[in-house]
Amino acid sequence: MIHIRSLHKRFGDLEVLKGVDLHVKAGEVVCIIGPSGSGKSTVLRCINRLEEPSSGSIIVDGHDIMARQTNINMIRTEAGMVFQQFNLFPHMKVLANVTLGPIKVRKMAKDEAVALGLSLLQKVGLANKANNYPQQLSGGQKQRVAIARALALQPKVILFDEPTSALDPELVGEVLAVMRQLAQEGMTMVVVTHEMGFARDVADRVIFIDDGKIQEEGPPRELFNNPKNSRLRNFLRAVTAA
Amino acid sequence: MAFQFEPAIVLETIPMLMRGLKLTVEITVGGLFFGFFLGSGAGLMKISRNGLVRLLAGSYIESIRGTPMLVQAMFLYYGVPLAIGIRIAPITAGIIIIAVNSGAYIAEIVRGAVQSINPGQMEAGRSIGLTHTQAMFFVVWPQALKRMIPPLGNQFIISLKDTSLLMVIGVGELMRTGQEITAVNFRAFEVYMAVGLVYLAMTMTIAKLMKMVEKRLSVSQR
Repeated sequence: MIHIRSLHKRFGDLEVLKGVDLHVKAGEVVCIIGPSGSGKSTVLRCINRLEEPSSGSIIVDGHDIMARQTNINMIRTEAGMVFQQFNLFPHMKVLANVTLGPIKVRKMAKDEAVALGLSLLQKVGLANKANNYPQQLSGGQKQRVAIARALALQPKVILFDEPTSALDPELVGEVLAVMRQLAQEGMTMVVVTHEMGFARDVADRVIFIDDGKIQEEGPPRELFNNPKNSRLRNFLRAVTAA
Repeated sequence: MAFQFEPAIVLETIPMLMRGLKLTVEITVGGLFFGFFLGSGAGLMKISRNGLVRLLAGSYIESIRGTPMLVQAMFLYYGVPLAIGIRIAPITAGIIIIAVNSGAYIAEIVRGAVQSINPGQMEAGRSIGLTHTQAMFFVVWPQALKRMIPPLGNQFIISLKDTSLLMVIGVGELMRTGQEITAVNFRAFEVYMAVGLVYLAMTMTIAKLMKMVEKRLSVSQR
């Protein structure tokens, strides 16, 4: 589904990614963990080219995202994204947030898009908020709307960029529950997260990134219980001590 | 001869100013209408990723902001016809000048408002597959527009007042009408007071309208 080879990303003199290779199979849930500033969000943002890779190749669903003939907007409908700060559209009602993509990008008829939007809001447990504005929702509700918005394009993979990091602790659970459900339904997911519990329970594979490189990867049980890399050991000690 | 203030003359003058007032309103509305589109275009060009486009918009904005409107008016009305051989009707010239002049200031208002919108909004728009233009139009622009309202109201008031400068190119607007009346009755004190009152009534109306628009737009959102 996603094939990343030798991905490098520089911001000016700062080399954030120093050669990342990552392959994600259809239906797989991959969690990316690592200290802040390690480049894990940058990997995710390169996959749908919100960030321009400096070099390397990224193939999403058979399309080379760097190729000139590739329509990046089409790729983005196949790879939905959920942001740390939700980034809902504050001037639109919840339902309109969800239907904007289907109507403008997929050219779906309005009533069809509304039906789809309502069913997705139902799925994330927010059908009763369809006619509210985003600022009337809690953080957890906003993030669930953002997930519904990403799902509305019927993507093949969803990229989650620290989806629970901006939430109050008591609201984290409701968002993770929705993500768990998606994982069970077979959605391909790449999740940058600090939720070790989620990574342990839900991920098929966990990737540890530090210093712009993948330091270790493997099934969660192995990676968490028997970390080989010393950076990973230090990282796990730091997050579990908290 | 002691000066004697005659309030009655102020009241008599106001109806006589209506012809000029009509022209002032027409030029203001017409000028601002085109000025808004010009300014929106230039403001968006100013934040383009293309350097040449930015330079183009920047040159326009700087050259208009950096020169007096009086000079621009004289240049367009007396200077340009000599070069291109076509006379421009005073009212047309007036609308063009207000449009071009307000456009430069509106461009900066637009640029500031668009740049004040969280970049995450554009990213979220792009992430659902919208093109840059679509994301700008459906996501960023409506939010920016709301932030533009107060400074736009300010610019509308400035442009309305600036139309008085058009008297120098023979546009029979409000100010010139007042001047013509004083040439007959020599009551500069009362006549210009009346002229001032009419401008004040219009600027206060604009301020009120903009407040209403602002309020209306804020009902739904933060």
